[in-house]
Amino acid sequence: MKSVLDMKISETARIKRITAQEPVKGRLTAMGIAKGNLIKLLDHTLKKQTWEVEVEGTRVALRKEEAASIMVEEI
Amino acid sequence: MKKIKVAMVGQPNVGKSSIINSISDARLHVGNFAGVTVEKKEVLIKRGDKEIDIVDLPGIYSLNAYTPEEQVAKRYLIEEDYDILVNVVDANVLQRNLIFTMQLLDMGKKMILVVNMIDELEKAGGKIDDKRLSELLGIPVVLASAKEKRGVENIVEKILELYDAPKPKRKIYYNEKIEYEIEKLKKILLKSPHFHDPELARFYVIRLLEKDEDIYKIVHDLPIFLELHEVLGESIKRLKLEFDEDSVSDILADERNSLAKSIVMQSMIMPQKETLTDRIDKILIHPVFGLPIFLFFMWTLFQLTFQVGSIPMEYIDQVFTNFGDWLKNILPQGDLNSVITEGVVPAVGAIVMFLPNILILFLGINLLEQTGYMARAAFLLDGFLKKFGLQGKAFIPLVSGFGCTVPAYMAARTLKNPKDRLITMLVLGFMNCSARLPVYVLLIAAFFPAHNAGNVLFVIYIGGALLGLLVAKILRELLFKGEPEPFVMEMPPYRFPSLKALAMELWIKAKIFIKKAGTFIAAAAMIVWFLSSYPKNPELLAEYEARIEAAVSESQKKALYNELAAKELESSYLGKIGKFIEPVFEPLGFDWRLSVATISGLAAKEVIVSTLATLYAVGEADETSSTLRAKLAQSVDFKTAVALIVIIMIYSPCVAAMSTFYAEIPQWAWRGFYTVYPNVLAWLAAFTVYKILEFVGL
Ligand SMILES: Nc1nc2c(ncn2[C@@H]2O[C@H](COP(=O)(O)OP(=O)(O)OP(=O)(O)O)[C@@H](O)[C@H]2O)c(=O)[nH]1
Ligand SMILES: [Mg+2]
Repeated sequence: MKSVLDMKISETARIKRITAQEPVKGRLTAMGIAKGNLIKLLDHTLKKQTWEVEVEGTRVALRKEEAASIMVEEI
Repeated sequence: MKKIKVAMVGQPNVGKSSIINSISDARLHVGNFAGVTVEKKEVLIKRGDKEIDIVDLPGIYSLNAYTPEEQVAKRYLIEEDYDILVNVVDANVLQRNLIFTMQLLDMGKKMILVVNMIDELEKAGGKIDDKRLSELLGIPVVLASAKEKRGVENIVEKILELYDAPKPKRKIYYNEKIEYEIEKLKKILLKSPHFHDPELARFYVIRLLEKDEDIYKIVHDLPIFLELHEVLGESIKRLKLEFDEDSVSDILADERNSLAKSIVMQSMIMPQKETLTDRIDKILIHPVFGLPIFLFFMWTLFQLTFQVGSIPMEYIDQVFTNFGDWLKNILPQGDLNSVITEGVVPAVGAIVMFLPNILILFLGINLLEQTGYMARAAFLLDGFLKKFGLQGKAFIPLVSGFGCTVPAYMAARTLKNPKDRLITMLVLGFMNCSARLPVYVLLIAAFFPAHNAGNVLFVIYIGGALLGLLVAKILRELLFKGEPEPFVMEMPPYRFPSLKALAMELWIKAKIFIKKAGTFIAAAAMIVWFLSSYPKNPELLAEYEARIEAAVSESQKKALYNELAAKELESSYLGKIGKFIEPVFEPLGFDWRLSVATISGLAAKEVIVSTLATLYAVGEADETSSTLRAKLAQSVDFKTAVALIVIIMIYSPCVAAMSTFYAEIPQWAWRGFYTVYPNVLAWLAAFTVYKILEFVGL
């Protein structure tokens, strides 16, 4: 399945599943990164260590590990 | 008259503190990033004959509190007694905020929804129907803008109304399968004689279904616990099966998300896509240019701090000198005259002189906080910080450390993992605080060429930061094995701070600084003056007076005067103390005066300057070297000055900061470690630098 790591910058996709464990999962959900919402990849740092996404108007910075746990499907 | 107790609660950075400021004369700290407020603060307001006690809480993303400062808010919500909940939400991200609102509605308290930042939403072309929203949620809704002071009085009115009115009926229910299980569990809980309130029981049941340990602890001691526990387990199993999810939290999160979506759909017109933030971000967090731009900003800040800050310095100095001379003439002769005109006034003057530098530095930090660039810098530096065993979010306390170490220790509460937090706090002292700025500016001006001054200052600050990171790395390797916490951080939109707000912040900072100089530092200077003037030594005086009498030339007389003053100082209490500690600092080239000044810096870092001013004021009759700077340049050599700078960069922060650390970290072992290691490290580093400079012949 495709994760945020496989998205291109400026691409928008729909979140299918979050594979992260609690409590990270809860934190992502509380920031709007939840199943069914649209997610857009905004940016990542040079070494692709830190990623920035936008979900329902909120911008969130994440590490690679967390970004990899967000599964998406193309729309 | 009854006091109405109101709790302000909401997700981080929605403007809770701003709202309170706008309806009271409080000056709560606000800033454009998540986690500005880390401790609850109470503000009292009066309207007519009613008193309202408003409690500002740290922002909290959800009731599954994650970081220590969120825990503060959660504990307050669950344990404390209050009449009304005011839930503040950000109009721009209403849907996400409503998910948390739904959790709060579960609590079944009297509640008001404040939709803040309505100005931004409307500017972007969005709209919210407050009547519809109120109908859907079943609670009063106020549209507000703390920035434009719009609708804020409405909040107070609604609070007063709701206080007298009965509790409105619940409107929001979950999927009937969930409600069925809730109902069943609620009945068991209500069997317990401790429970009368069905709304509270419902809330506890929902939290228990979500495996909330804080609630678990509360019900654990109830007699019906065993029965409850069994049925709870069955309910959870059943729900997980029916909804095909991993946990009831997930089911409820999904439920709330859908509810929020549908409510937003019915009550809000979405704004056009806002792009200003995206456009700025294209440059400021550019994968390649982002970091250099950040470094350039920091460099500029330190250049300005030194160069622009130095311009008014001489005027301020002149004002204090004149003031001292004037006082000398009007006060009666004697000890009082001396302690004020020779002890306090020059010492306070020596510090107030640096007010412009400090204000520029604070302006920089303030811009960083208010514009939203703080979160960007954290984003840019995360990869770098990770190498040192820290995470991007640690940047926020680290940067606050450039202002003052005390709030920086508090800000470390935004780090979830206790190890991350402790490591960050242990190295925070290496972030040079603004109180150290006067010492650096003084020493740099005395020992470095003027055109390089700003750069030297930059190197000191960056050097401190790098050293902090290095120590963090070592601590991580040696003592705290394990990965740092995952990094998930909200990036707020850019906001342009109003000039008025910036000026206000600076004015407050200036007031605090002058107050500190006029009280704490003046008192410290007075103590230093007394310790350095007593005991009087009549024999020494008599001996020298005779010799001065006998001297033939003017210059000989002058030399004898200086010798006398130096000897008197040495035989004072402070001189004796200095002589006693001198051996510790001798390998660094310090004489007893520098040693005493260094130790006095533990009271407050500015005191180093005032102590130097007192100790070097004596014994110099040479007209051309009237300023402290010139006297230092004359009597201290370069490598000693650098060693002093290194010591100040590394050794323990002031007592105020240390007591904050002790308050935040309860373990004695860590307190002890924290108290000792910076001083040892400081000495070793200063010694190394001193020897290297000696070796290269400086
Ligand atoms: N445009 C606009 N900006 C606002 C408004 N209210 C607050 N802000 C800005 O939003 C940011 C956050 O405000 P705070 O009051 O610190 O938010 P908070 O909810 O107390 O944040 P935490 O303490 O971190 O939870 C600041 O930059 C404010 O200047 C508003 O009504 N309109
Ligand atoms: Mg706040």
